[in-house]
Amino acid sequence: MTTNVPAVDVHGAAAEARPKNFINWSSGFMSWAGTLDHKRIGLMYLVGVSIAFLCGGLFALLVRLHLWEPNGALFSNAQYNQIFTLHGAFMVFIFVIPAIPGSLGNIILPLMLGAKDVALPRLNLLSFYLWLTGAVLATLAIVLGGFDTGWTFYTPYSLYTNQAVVTIGLAVFVLGFSSIFTGLNFIVTTHKLRAPGMTWFRMPLFVWALYATSLLQVLATPVLGITVLLVAFERLYHIGIFDPRLGGDPVLFEHFFWFYSHPAVYIMVLPAFGIISELVSVHSRKPLFGYKLIAFSSLAIAIISFLVWGHHMFTSGQSTYAMFAFSFLTFFVAIPTAIKEFSWVATVWKGSIALNSPMLYTLAFLVIFAIGGLTGVILGALNVDIHLHDTYFVVAHFHYVMMGSIALAFFAGVHHWWPKMFGVIYNETLAKIACGIIFIGFNTTFIPQFIMGSRGMPRRYATYVPEYAPFHQASTIGVIILAVGIALMVYYLVASLFQRKKAMENQWGGVTLEWLAPTPPPLENFNEPPVVTNEVYDYSTLDLQTMRTPVK
Amino acid sequence: MFAHLIQDPKNYVENPARPPEVDAYGQLTKLASTFSDVDGLFYFTYAVCVFFFVIITGVLLYSVVVYRRKTFDQPALSNVTHNTPLEVVWTVIPLIIVMVMFAWGFRGSLDMMTVPADARWYKASAKQWNWTFNYPNSAAQSFGELWLEKDKNAAFVLESSDVLHAFYMPEMRVKRDVIPGRNQTIWFNPTKLGEFHLFCAEYCGNDHSKMYAKVHVVTAEEYATKPWDKWDDANPAKGGEAVYKALCSSCHSVNGTPLVGPSWKGLFVKDASGALVGAQREVLVNGAKQTITVDQAYITESIKSPDAKKSVGFEKNNMTAFPALEDKKILGVIEYMKTLAEGK
Ligand code: HEC
Ligand SMILES: [Cu+2]
Ligand SMILES: [Cu+2]
Repeated sequence: MTTNVPAVDVHGAAAEARPKNFINWSSGFMSWAGTLDHKRIGLMYLVGVSIAFLCGGLFALLVRLHLWEPNGALFSNAQYNQIFTLHGAFMVFIFVIPAIPGSLGNIILPLMLGAKDVALPRLNLLSFYLWLTGAVLATLAIVLGGFDTGWTFYTPYSLYTNQAVVTIGLAVFVLGFSSIFTGLNFIVTTHKLRAPGMTWFRMPLFVWALYATSLLQVLATPVLGITVLLVAFERLYHIGIFDPRLGGDPVLFEHFFWFYSHPAVYIMVLPAFGIISELVSVHSRKPLFGYKLIAFSSLAIAIISFLVWGHHMFTSGQSTYAMFAFSFLTFFVAIPTAIKEFSWVATVWKGSIALNSPMLYTLAFLVIFAIGGLTGVILGALNVDIHLHDTYFVVAHFHYVMMGSIALAFFAGVHHWWPKMFGVIYNETLAKIACGIIFIGFNTTFIPQFIMGSRGMPRRYATYVPEYAPFHQASTIGVIILAVGIALMVYYLVASLFQRKKAMENQWGGVTLEWLAPTPPPLENFNEPPVVTNEVYDYSTLDLQTMRTPVK
Repeated sequence: MFAHLIQDPKNYVENPARPPEVDAYGQLTKLASTFSDVDGLFYFTYAVCVFFFVIITGVLLYSVVVYRRKTFDQPALSNVTHNTPLEVVWTVIPLIIVMVMFAWGFRGSLDMMTVPADARWYKASAKQWNWTFNYPNSAAQSFGELWLEKDKNAAFVLESSDVLHAFYMPEMRVKRDVIPGRNQTIWFNPTKLGEFHLFCAEYCGNDHSKMYAKVHVVTAEEYATKPWDKWDDANPAKGGEAVYKALCSSCHSVNGTPLVGPSWKGLFVKDASGALVGAQREVLVNGAKQTITVDQAYITESIKSPDAKKSVGFEKNNMTAFPALEDKKILGVIEYMKTLAEGK
């Protein structure tokens, strides 16, 4: 909508006349492969995780096409089991966990802090290469015969099935280190490299969210690493820790796994919350409602999330006391999450709402996350969860969170910072259309899954009783619509790089520091080191004619 | 790519249970046990969710329509960043609501965990990928089918001899993981006559989705006739076919196509005179090749200790042993195998 932004770029400089930026200041393979610049590393992540997302999406498409018929339309059961496992493993470990911190986090966090780079640039590059190694190992595992354990690797099945489980375990181990290093780096950067004047409560909420995420990454991921190592040892040396035939306890694995993987849910979702906090504020041109409460709720979530893992195991025969505690805390963690959602909605209220594509993705997030979060409350109730556990209801719930919320927030962030990252703007009309298609496709895919799930359809089924067929077919139609939307999005984003329609310096009128940096930013980000004198999200200093904030 | 569709003999479409009826709100199947708390709490939380969802989307939609930016330099109408009463309200009210849900759900789950003293104890044994049931006061087992008496508390000991499975009956609202090396229990009181689904809800490998049993809830009179112990001595092949469908069809076909194990077609053949004889088979005994003739002893051994003689061509695949399969059922299976013979 042209009315949302000034008609001319007041900064006036033609693209060619712009000074050298981080993309074009040097060229050649090694200038990228060996770069220490957080923005280049972030861009490589962006390309990498996008490819992982498209692979994971392709597997999802195959899964859904297969389920068109009750007896399965395309594959043998064994093949189907491998494909759904690949979908889960690629999406969780290679896409969702690293996506936002690795790409947008890397690029934007130092800019938002007014820093020249992250605190530990070499470690940052190492994180990227570990991620790449993990992704290659995971692909290798497919070539080595595939793995069919589901992304959860539950023992003892994962101990008896195809040996490629060790390879994918190794991949997960390496990816874990990538995640830990990114977390460490962000923690140090946030503590050490804030611009003068940027107190903790002047940090943008994206930074807060990444900070909370980093704490979780550093504290929780080692448990995953140890767990997959134990599985590998059990397979190779039969040490008897998880294998009941050797006196081990398979349920112990579940505890270890979820001790990481529940916090991992927040490793995945907190950065998304951060993006949404930014975007809601900028595109409503209004300070975030309840800033401190949102910041603290991120930390509260990070802490409580360590204490709720047992809610994935309500049917495993836990003691009454464990059930009591885990269910109680699960409901408890709903509160800080609800506070966030309410605060975002309150921020939109009486704002100046720009209906551009980043905001449309944000609004889509707010609706979808409401469903994802609320259905999580249904699952927290003990006896209801016993019925719904391991059904499509759960599948739909976590897709509303993982795909509907996190991936949509990622898309929103990519659209929002695209002009800053590349200095070009994509076709807004196509972007709005794609957002609409994705929203419709997504809901068409997963609403039927809620219904068949509450009616008892178990998950991870290659075939199913025919009474569920209409829901499965609706869901398959939905995923096709979704795929069209995503294909369109990839198209116009990539096309914008070739059309080179110049973006404005401060495309959306943001007041956080990244918008003070030149577009695209030069190697060390700012021409002069910024000094912060205002409260965060203070739009009163923004000159609405020029979209400039006074330079200090 | 589509060949397995033809190979695969076990197929829900042939053999579905009664499609379940849906309850008045259309979200759940009609409850068939006494655990009505599950439905009550489900719809309560559901209503709460709908309520909050309507508020959230309502406010969003209203804002988008009313506060839409019309000129690029339009500032926000308000710059409030706090409203303590409002924030307290939206923290405290949800907190109270979720605590109600918590207490209600916990109470309900206590009922589910406490097995009534008068329950009849059954045993459900799970193995890749079928269910076997033992009944109180009856030596007979049933495979892939279970009979229960209406309005009688039924409790189960759950056993797995390989990997994790889960005992899930959606219409009874019960689920419990079946864990090798641990004895789990589950109970419910079936309140409706009819046929119900028993699914495996924990991923357990290739045929996880086919690890299915049909549960019959019958009247006291019918239950007294021990329907699981019916065996038509006049027609053993028919009983054998039932055993095949329940236990063997995930690995053996009857049309000549090899699956995990060799097809049963051709185990018996007709000779020139039209008489049924056992076929010649190559097997490995401790790694050494032998040729044997298929007979009752060989088949019984194949079922009870399958690794004693491994069929050549399938030596890498493992068959689950069925040491407890009763003799009459083995004979029934053999009779059924004989009906597959071709020839004059
Ligand atoms: C998990 C898959 C699996 C299941 C279930 C299974 N089998 Fe097998 N069966 C095999 C495999 C693999 C072989 C060949 C290797 C061997 O002999 O151990 C085999 C071999 C046999 C043979 C020898 C066949 C020949 O051509 O020599 C017989 C007889 C047999 N099974 C009977 C049964 C019966 C009866 C059942 C059901 C009660 C059954 N099987 C269930 C996998 C299975
Ligand atoms: Cu969890
Ligand atoms: Cu299973």
